[in-house]
Amino acid sequence: MSDPTVAEAWVAAPLRRLMEDARLISGVLLYPTGRAVGQFGFSNAADVMSICALTSAINASARELGRQLDGKPFYEMHHAGADRQVFMARAAAGGQELLFVGVFDRESSLGVVEIYFAEFQKALETLRPEKQVAGARPSGDFEGELNRSLDALFGPIGKP
Amino acid sequence: MKALGQVVATLSHIPGVIAAMVVGASDGLIVETSALMGGAVGAADPRKHTAALAAYLYSKVTRASDAARLGTPAFMRLEAEKGHICVVGARDVVLVTIVTPDANLGRVRLDMMNAARANHE
Repeated sequence: MSDPTVAEAWVAAPLRRLMEDARLISGVLLYPTGRAVGQFGFSNAADVMSICALTSAINASARELGRQLDGKPFYEMHHAGADRQVFMARAAAGGQELLFVGVFDRESSLGVVEIYFAEFQKALETLRPEKQVAGARPSGDFEGELNRSLDALFGPIGKP
Repeated sequence: MKALGQVVATLSHIPGVIAAMVVGASDGLIVETSALMGGAVGAADPRKHTAALAAYLYSKVTRASDAARLGTPAFMRLEAEKGHICVVGARDVVLVTIVTPDANLGRVRLDMMNAARANHE
């Protein structure tokens, strides 16, 4: 199990603890704009890029669907595949909303992931981003924001 | 299995049982639960955490039992400083009870085993 790589150092400790306690295979913490804050379990920036883009889109769709059906956004989502399961939920730090998506298998369970994610949420709430995050709100440059955050996680593409 | 509500009602009426739950074996989520007996006002409800971790632990114990060629575990009891957690597997669910140190563990075990056996019939 590899250590998380983070674009913002303040999330490193809670993210590592979530990874270890919930026995997650991989996970990405990101802003709703699609900008990655931290990840573990991935070695390829393209995979994280896809996950950020998809998670951002899924969150936007699910949020609206929740509003339509239940009058409020859905809190979390879970998909159980044959071997692996996906868990997606929101957290907040310093008034800033964050999304988390994690993958687990039979070495964990949804119940276990939920309880450790609740602890992760509490840990984030007590923390504050080191500075007001520029670009945490949509700037309209989705691709640029995504690429900048991936550079922070994996280094500039094509520059070893 | 008897109606799940009836199972937790039966188990929760045993003296010393603080909570009885039917929990999904694979996901660790509570399917049915009794009320929490004697919980301090304002104290955190331990049922969700206990259910998830007890089901997880039972799955690991099952693997350990398999590895030791002992077959499926019949009954798991975790003895702690201030009480016990008892777990019995019943197909797709596990029965979980949180029990005080002075409870009649024989009765708890018997009733949990009976409820699980009824699920297999």
